Amino acid sequence: MSNPLADMEKPDVIFCIGTNMTECHPVAATRLKRAIARGAKMIVADPRHIGLADLADLYLPIRVGSDAALLLAMAHVIDREGLVNEQFIGDRTVEGEKFLEHVKQFPPEWAAEITGVPAEDIERAALWYGKADRGAIYYTLGITEHICGVDNVQSLCNLALMTGNIGREGTGINPMRGQNNIQGAGDTGAIPNNYPGFQPVTDPKNQEKFRRAYGRTVDLEKGITKVTALEMAGDQIRAMLIDGENTVVSDPDRHHCEHALKSLDHLVVIDIFLTETAELADVVLPAAAWGETDGSQTNTERRVQRLRAAVPPPGDAKPDWWIISQLARRLGFQGFEFTDAKGVFNELCSLSVTYAGLDWDRIEHGEYQWPVPEPGHPGTPILHQGTFVNGRGIFHLISYRDPAETIDDEYPVWLTTGRRLQSYHTRTQTGRSAGIDYFLSEESLEIHPDDVAAWGLRDGGWARMHSRRGCVLIKVKETRRSPRGTVFASFSFNDVPVNILTGGGYDPVTQTAELKVCPVRVEPAEAPSARQGVA
Amino acid sequence: MTVTAIPTNHQLIEQCRTEPAPLLPLLHAFHERDGHLSEEALREIAGALKIPIAELFGDVTFYHHFAREPQGYGVPRVCTGPVCAHRGGLELLEALRETGARPMPCAGRCDEPVPVLRGGELLVGTAPRSLVTKPSPIPAPNPGGIEECVFAHIREPGRATLQGYRRTGGYEALERVVRSGAPADVLAAIADSKLAGRGGAGFPTGTKWTAVADAPGTPKSIVCNADEGEPGCFKDRALLDHDPHAVIEGMALAAYATGATRGFIYLRYEYPDTFGILAQAIADAEAAALLGDNVLGTDFTFRLYLRRGAGAYICGEEGSLLNSLEGKHPFPRNRPPFPVTHGYENLPTVVNNVETLAAATAIVRRGAEWYRGLGMNGQAGTKVISLSGDIRRPGNYEVPLGLPLETLLHQWAGGPEVGRAIQAVTMAGLSGGFLAGKDLDVTLDEPSIRSKGSFLGAGGIMVFDDRHDMIAVARDAMAFFAHESCGKCFPCRIGTQRITERLAGEAGPTDLSAWIDEVADLGQTMKAMSACGLGLAAPLITESLLKYFPKDVARHVERTGHDARGDR
Amino acid sequence: MIANPTDAKSESLTLDGKEVSFTPGETIYEVATRHRKRIPTLCYDERLEPFGGCRLCAVEVEGSRLPVASCTTKATPGMQIRTSTASVEKHRRTLLEMVASENREIDVDPLRGYASQELSTLLDRYDARTGRFAGAQSGSSRPDDDNPFILRDYDLCISCYRCVRVCAEQEGDHAISVMSRGFHTQITTEFEGLLKHSACTFCGQCVQTCPTGALADRKAMRFAHLSGETKQTRTICPYCGVGCSVDILTKDSTMVGVLPAMDGPANLGALCVKGQFAWDFVQHPDRLATPLVRGADGELQPTDWDTALDRAAEGFRKVVDEHGRHSVYAVASGRAPNEAGYLMQKFVRAGLGTNNVDNCSRA
Repeated sequence: MSNPLADMEKPDVIFCIGTNMTECHPVAATRLKRAIARGAKMIVADPRHIGLADLADLYLPIRVGSDAALLLAMAHVIDREGLVNEQFIGDRTVEGEKFLEHVKQFPPEWAAEITGVPAEDIERAALWYGKADRGAIYYTLGITEHICGVDNVQSLCNLALMTGNIGREGTGINPMRGQNNIQGAGDTGAIPNNYPGFQPVTDPKNQEKFRRAYGRTVDLEKGITKVTALEMAGDQIRAMLIDGENTVVSDPDRHHCEHALKSLDHLVVIDIFLTETAELADVVLPAAAWGETDGSQTNTERRVQRLRAAVPPPGDAKPDWWIISQLARRLGFQGFEFTDAKGVFNELCSLSVTYAGLDWDRIEHGEYQWPVPEPGHPGTPILHQGTFVNGRGIFHLISYRDPAETIDDEYPVWLTTGRRLQSYHTRTQTGRSAGIDYFLSEESLEIHPDDVAAWGLRDGGWARMHSRRGCVLIKVKETRRSPRGTVFASFSFNDVPVNILTGGGYDPVTQTAELKVCPVRVEPAEAPSARQGVA
Repeated sequence: MTVTAIPTNHQLIEQCRTEPAPLLPLLHAFHERDGHLSEEALREIAGALKIPIAELFGDVTFYHHFAREPQGYGVPRVCTGPVCAHRGGLELLEALRETGARPMPCAGRCDEPVPVLRGGELLVGTAPRSLVTKPSPIPAPNPGGIEECVFAHIREPGRATLQGYRRTGGYEALERVVRSGAPADVLAAIADSKLAGRGGAGFPTGTKWTAVADAPGTPKSIVCNADEGEPGCFKDRALLDHDPHAVIEGMALAAYATGATRGFIYLRYEYPDTFGILAQAIADAEAAALLGDNVLGTDFTFRLYLRRGAGAYICGEEGSLLNSLEGKHPFPRNRPPFPVTHGYENLPTVVNNVETLAAATAIVRRGAEWYRGLGMNGQAGTKVISLSGDIRRPGNYEVPLGLPLETLLHQWAGGPEVGRAIQAVTMAGLSGGFLAGKDLDVTLDEPSIRSKGSFLGAGGIMVFDDRHDMIAVARDAMAFFAHESCGKCFPCRIGTQRITERLAGEAGPTDLSAWIDEVADLGQTMKAMSACGLGLAAPLITESLLKYFPKDVARHVERTGHDARGDR
Repeated sequence: MIANPTDAKSESLTLDGKEVSFTPGETIYEVATRHRKRIPTLCYDERLEPFGGCRLCAVEVEGSRLPVASCTTKATPGMQIRTSTASVEKHRRTLLEMVASENREIDVDPLRGYASQELSTLLDRYDARTGRFAGAQSGSSRPDDDNPFILRDYDLCISCYRCVRVCAEQEGDHAISVMSRGFHTQITTEFEGLLKHSACTFCGQCVQTCPTGALADRKAMRFAHLSGETKQTRTICPYCGVGCSVDILTKDSTMVGVLPAMDGPANLGALCVKGQFAWDFVQHPDRLATPLVRGADGELQPTDWDTALDRAAEGFRKVVDEHGRHSVYAVASGRAPNEAGYLMQKFVRAGLGTNNVDNCSRA
């Protein structure tokens, strides 16, 4: 997030797109609700009539995967109506003129065709956001899990740049991070292109810095992404070390994923449960869970906070840092003589530019948001104040692209996937917490009542859902949250492995899978005799 | 033959949705159409007005006249207020039991018992067969022959119609004022008259209007508090039934003086006939360009809306009333801020009682000095007293402030029945507790009555002669306050309940000094710590009971002790 | 709204005989607590709009005939405030005795919730005579509500409405409300239904603000029978990226519950159903407690760390030897601590000299 969570109570226009915040980030959503109670207006764009849509002053029911078209047309209207912040563009951005010329070709009527949202509603959204003193954008995976995820994010940036809604209190571009420490995973350098603190591996200066620290020269070339690694499994990639990820269930195209992991020569999984992924491993190493280990994690607003052990781990389970260090030492790797989490964190801070001003003791009370460039620095709750990290904000000339797969006669229905309030990810945790089943005990496919009738289905009955990659049996749930022609399911339940169906395409830049769009066919089915999801 | 189609949900919603304060009219519309408020109806309304359904459900349960069971709207509700309970109300309720009849607190017709609400009708009588609808009584001519203010013209034939009202100068004050373009003159006249709120609180009206005129924020509102819920009070009903335009003109004058552009009359549910009279009066005034946009062709705009409560005494408290109008839970509001700056929709608002507004009209017409001169013994102006109970001529009397109570009771109203003696009278309806014995020598004005630990308030006086068990009278009074306590503040919510239990002999110490100790402690803490007038005033019942009837209390506690020990 | 300290100059008033300064907009209660006055309250939750219901916080103000509720009354310049006169203290004691009289029990288990001890603490502090003012009890419990998280024990309810207000103001859910009035007031959902059928999201905020334990944490209550002291450990919620601060409750080595941290910078006391109630996966019997290696039979077998780490290392060494250092790939977790992520990248970079590391943010 460019701005802190506290800022969510301060905008006068809130634009939420591709974020089911009341279910996926409920505590953050409470802040938006307070902003609304205070008088802020909210625009919500989402294919489904999610909980946020109930609270919205303007709801834009866009077709799945059509975000970029909506955002281009909004930019068009903002320009046409003279709501562009000329001073901001002049002082702080590049490529502004080209961008404003570029968007002239995308009137709302054009976007209405693609998105299915009336042109006047697109105009209204643009006018509200364009006229806002404090316009803030919030998004989640509904924006990024597309083949055009990067385009979508850049389109949002374009809107913020052209209106100057960035670098100030109550504004900004604010992605809501889905997992507790997904921010930290990137911050700490567990990505193929950056060292800790987002220092590019392709920069020789960084290579030199880490050679000195690690006593070894690291490649100047970026590594491959996980998606590519899975593609290459059994071929160029022969061994994997996976820490705390249930790849088989959470990744798209489950059959492909399982096959990839099985074709490895060697798979080591560190986890707290014997997940579907761990079951494929040669060695499974038991990790200490949350509440059993000290450490740190970084939240969606870049706040670095301490984790503390309250109880001992079960049996022989050990903290991740200990396990990885032990493994490294047995491989003869240098620099893994750690005795506690504090030592690891302090080494990270000493090498990271964003955490440079932090250490274990400074994060005791969690008041710092990175970047904290040097000790004594108060941290940076709001990014891009006065200047952008990389100098100037760059406008990107985006065009709309169709999803990788679009509906046709054979697969005439859009499936979109996501999460639900009471279940987290693949339910390794929530599924093992007493009482959660009271609310959500099984997966279901959310279908508009008219579609239920038209397709010969029955609320509470069963359906078979096919995509180009596979087929699942799933219970039918009638709801007006789904628009006609679009159905929804989560990927949380292993017995209804919805990710068998997904995986039609990946963003060419980030290789994020298009989990939000998958053409399917839905047919009535008999109830399965025994509970068996895979048909 | 014409067939009246039953309006659809959509039609009902569309009728109300665009107006201010739409919730109560919408609830009434569904209630009357369906005979109750169904779950489906509430969900429709919640959706249309964007009120969370749990809140709407809770709000509806607050009002005792909203039926949630089918056909509940038509179930007779029989007044069992302090006067009616002793004048056939209880017997009538019993006689109507098989119709599902339920008791209701004082319905404001104590001069002519017993009122019964059945659907949209108000009937009066003491036996099921003799129940009739009829206009409420017109105040008798002033027995003292003393010049009146608000009742001066009320007995003129046709006074309730626009024509009748205009016959003797009605709306001339408004016309003169809006054409003069000098709102400050109105403020000055009201301030100069020393008119104070006639609903009970007695706040100087001129100060209130001036505060609203000076307060920032628009639109401003004038709210007429016609939620006359105090037991033993029925003066506002008389004014609204027989001289509605005087009140409407008063509101328009207040609006002009303060810069308000909208007004609301919040009328208690138990006055259905009055609702019709007011609706007609407002329509007639609008048609004559006396209300609405561009009043009398000037640029003064004042839109007046009539809203009806649904059975909740606390809605006579101005904060509750405003919350009720706004469709919120009708708890009193914390003060400060006061309505003059943070009233309807948190904007500057005058909240005035019916009588105050009617008096304001007369003051603007006839001058402040004239009004001040109507009082006696240095008191300014007049007050309408609703007199009822064990008295030969119950009714509304406009008295000069400062008139001796004895004069009103014995000379004007004929005293008690032959052979009976007045044991006690209530003050301020029930809120002032009892006066008895030699304290009946007060004059009718606040300084005199407050010196006895009571207050005049809204001017309801109920007379209890020597046939009554004063413990039972006090118990019923406290039960009323417990029934009407809103539940927001602890001292009132718990205190009214505990005192009722003690007066009923249901709980509490059986030792007299311990009993008195508990009741006094409850009362003192309520009087000091309650959030609004209900909790502050209710303990006056037991305070005055202990003061005037200590022997009755001792007997009661002793009897309770016997019952508890099973001696009986 | 939080007053901006820069645009308001400070004023002064007299608090229990001492001149103190305040910022315009502050309530008497805020000024007084800032100066360490222990003003009792039951309906106050600093995150909510002041309500003025319990009246315990009433103080005497010069010029005002009656005590005023300090929580709802704004401080004004020159105000003369007395926070604990004998008269006010007496009324507070009486009020507490009145409140106690409508309650089934006074001593409630602290596991019921964050604020559950507030009433009993005040009763002790004021030495309230809890036998006084006998009479009917208020509130009807809902034993029919079979939800696994929130016990609705309204027999202990004192109608402070903190639950209703936190649900509306803090959560924005408006799932619960107040029905009927006076002594018969009852906390309810729409049409008196179960929480499950209401707008309730089971965030547990109502439980944590309840000052009597009338709303209680059913999961934590399962551990009420365990003896021993309950300890709190501050940490961060393991679910989404908001990073809510929580206090884990433990008795000996058993996790017994979670409390929201009222001073958590990201959440200010808020939590959701997952953070509040889905913590016991940690103690699930499915937890891996020993390393596993795949045996000759193709099955995973329990073993000790030495064996497992050797097997793991040996496999990587063999692959590197045969296929080169680029044939190893590491996937870090978005759920493990920073230290895990850092060491996973160090493992490939310092150990193998490659950048073949990624995390699960792509899924």
